[in-house]
Amino acid sequence: MAEPRTVRHAEHVMGTVFSFDLRGAPTPAVTAALADAVAWLHRVDEVFSTYRPGSQISRLDRGELTERQCDPEVAEVLELCRSTARAADGWFSATAGGRLDPSAVVKGWAVERASQLLYDVGARHHSVSGGGDLQTRGEAAPGTPWRIGVAHPLCPGDLITVVTGRDLAVATSGTAERGPHILDPHTGRPATALASVTLVGRHLTEVDALATAAFAMGDAARGWLRARDGIEAFAVTADARTWWTPGFAAYGEVPVPA
Amino acid sequence: MTTVPHARTGGPVPRPAPPPVRRPRRFPAEGALVVVFGGAAAVLALWWRHTPSVVGLDGWLTGAGRITGLLAGYACAVLLALMARVPVLDRVVGTDRLARWHATGGRYTVFLALAHTALIIWGSSVSSRTNVIDQTATMVFEYEDLLQGTIGLLLLLGVGAVSARAARRRMSYETWHHLHFCTYLAVFLAFFHQLSNGADFVADRPARIAWYTLYLGVAALLLWNRFLTPVRRALRHRLRVAEVHPEAPGVVSVYVTGRRLAELGAQPGQFFRWRFLAPGHWWAANPFSLSAPADPRHLRITVKEAGGHSRAVARLRPGTRVWAEGPYGAFTAARRSSAKVLLLGGGVGITPLRPLFETLPGEVTLVYFARRAEDLALRGELDEIAAARGARVHYAVGEGAGTSLPLTADALGAVIPDLAAHDVYVCGPPGMTEAARRALRDAGVPRRRIHHESFAF
Amino acid sequence: MLRAVAATTATVAGLFLLLALKPHQSPTAAAAPPVEPTPGGSPSAVPSAPERDGTSGTFTGDTIDTARGPVQVRVTLAKGRLTAIAVLKGEHREGPSADALARLTKRALAAQNAKIDAVSGATFTSEGYRSSLQSALDRADG
Repeated sequence: MAEPRTVRHAEHVMGTVFSFDLRGAPTPAVTAALADAVAWLHRVDEVFSTYRPGSQISRLDRGELTERQCDPEVAEVLELCRSTARAADGWFSATAGGRLDPSAVVKGWAVERASQLLYDVGARHHSVSGGGDLQTRGEAAPGTPWRIGVAHPLCPGDLITVVTGRDLAVATSGTAERGPHILDPHTGRPATALASVTLVGRHLTEVDALATAAFAMGDAARGWLRARDGIEAFAVTADARTWWTPGFAAYGEVPVPA
Repeated sequence: MTTVPHARTGGPVPRPAPPPVRRPRRFPAEGALVVVFGGAAAVLALWWRHTPSVVGLDGWLTGAGRITGLLAGYACAVLLALMARVPVLDRVVGTDRLARWHATGGRYTVFLALAHTALIIWGSSVSSRTNVIDQTATMVFEYEDLLQGTIGLLLLLGVGAVSARAARRRMSYETWHHLHFCTYLAVFLAFFHQLSNGADFVADRPARIAWYTLYLGVAALLLWNRFLTPVRRALRHRLRVAEVHPEAPGVVSVYVTGRRLAELGAQPGQFFRWRFLAPGHWWAANPFSLSAPADPRHLRITVKEAGGHSRAVARLRPGTRVWAEGPYGAFTAARRSSAKVLLLGGGVGITPLRPLFETLPGEVTLVYFARRAEDLALRGELDEIAAARGARVHYAVGEGAGTSLPLTADALGAVIPDLAAHDVYVCGPPGMTEAARRALRDAGVPRRRIHHESFAF
Repeated sequence: MLRAVAATTATVAGLFLLLALKPHQSPTAAAAPPVEPTPGGSPSAVPSAPERDGTSGTFTGDTIDTARGPVQVRVTLAKGRLTAIAVLKGEHREGPSADALARLTKRALAAQNAKIDAVSGATFTSEGYRSSLQSALDRADG
């Protein structure tokens, strides 16, 4: 039996790369929708990029625009930031650096929207990832769920676990690109308590936002995540230990206690 | 059932020629201590090698914590080795002295373990800027093998508490003895965290190998001497109770027969740990000295009813199987150095002295202290031996002011001319031996000629 | 009781003496331990952007002794800029040793054998993407 065809596409946008992986023979509608999704991602970049002084977000931050004058998506994203801040007991904020910067939420939100776009035209089995956060729908192949590896935060090129499932959203928050993670051997203090934390749920928008908050929380995230319904998590701490929420084992491989 | 000729009738069995008088072997006992302290120095050298500098409060605290931890881990292995009943150690140091070293060392080791725990927790809280409670919780529950280590520490503390004099007074020896075995478990549990967390072992493979060797070596000693050898012995000698013979009110002699008794090599003055395989006796292995020179036909112990257990000995039935571990004890003829010997016995302490009285060559005098005349067990035998070999025996009856022979230098000197030139063997209850010691020192007997075995272990 | 006091005092004094005999400055390795790039290069300090350009890759340093014991690090460079440091050997906060990291690494799955469809990880940049697992998957045939 022939291998089911897949359509893959990688697009450089928002300073990172978005990857599309559509399973099954594509219909013309799906092919068109993929092009629309890609174009839409660029539009999101124009509106939300904090690196462009002319973006709506930058102008909103400088007070040149009010929220109502921006695209409806802006209000939607900002409301998302506010509800995430509430859910995370203050460990998340869109104005953390002093400037308005909803980037932590925008990527996941954009990926989920793009995925929905494809799903609505009949691409029922696909995976869309944006810089390391993914939304999957359906399965990888008939009878085979999606297998999503999670990168090892301390050993580039290796995986630390594999998450398996259908209609899964997976988001990982970590420090690899946030600047050098330097350990001062004299104070013994790493920059943060976790090397990475991976959340698994249904909707990437929620999962991505919560992953950012969880990473900032550090060790306290464990209890917080356990209490949240519909989300499972797996974390690697800065001193190379791992922990996970009780339900995570249903999705991903957990290390056997030594 | 073999009939056993009583030692009372028929007189003493002719003995071979007396061994040449030898200098007492003092050096080897201290030699054992030298080895122990040498090992401790090597352990400190390990810390020294792995520490390029000590910086900051946390550096001092964790440095001290590592040193105390290393010493505590080493001490645990040494303590177990002391009690492994290694024959050469027993001969050279003496069972009672080994037990004293173990007890003192045990207290110090508990102190070291506590100091280590406190210093490490405090030091690492300082370096990770957390409070002590959080740091303790993190370490106990998330660090490798530390949960077992903590349980081991708590067990060690528990055993230490139970071994305190105040607690020991309230429980039977057997109960205490069995609780004390928890130290095996404590040491086992604590072993693993030493290698997985010890900064001195992380990058030092030879050190890790040496540590394993130390512990496995001690485990092998324990297994061989405390478990396998007694079993081997039991199978080879098949000891059984032949007869239980009353000697005096509350005093019985138990005759034990078996095969190849001569191979046991028991010397006069030594003792065995006896386990009688009868209901109610299985769990106890009591130390009783041989009360007669070892005979190829039987071994004899004489027991005074002092507690539930010794009372039960009187009720042992002939044919009961016996396990005897030993012989132990350095309270033998090998210790003497002069031609004249004085034996001072009090109460049940007469038991090891009685065979020495019969077999020690040279001029021997025995003084036997007891509270009442009827407590003088084995009196008939002692008189017979004195008559047969021309030795002197004095009985001192009474207590405190009313005693017929007070334990003072003058009183002893009056009874024993030339006291300072004697070798003196002392055995009895702690009060009596203490008084005897002081009196002997006052009379000018040098320390190296006072030989003493305490039953207080 | 007296012996206990004497033993405690002697122990404290002994500890103090041993610790005092050691030097009290940290080794001159300063903030980050020096790293030697293993691919045949000459020993040098960690490169900073203005001095070198274009060096990319992962380099594993020598094991050096610090106040906290032996430390070994692996650094990842992208065009001469330090993007990641992994501590391979050494103690974090007086805690678990190389064991923990070694164990974690042992459990790391080989991406090829895991037959995965996609990878989730911390956000990579466009440059970082090129050497990432995700790009390898994107390039593979369906």
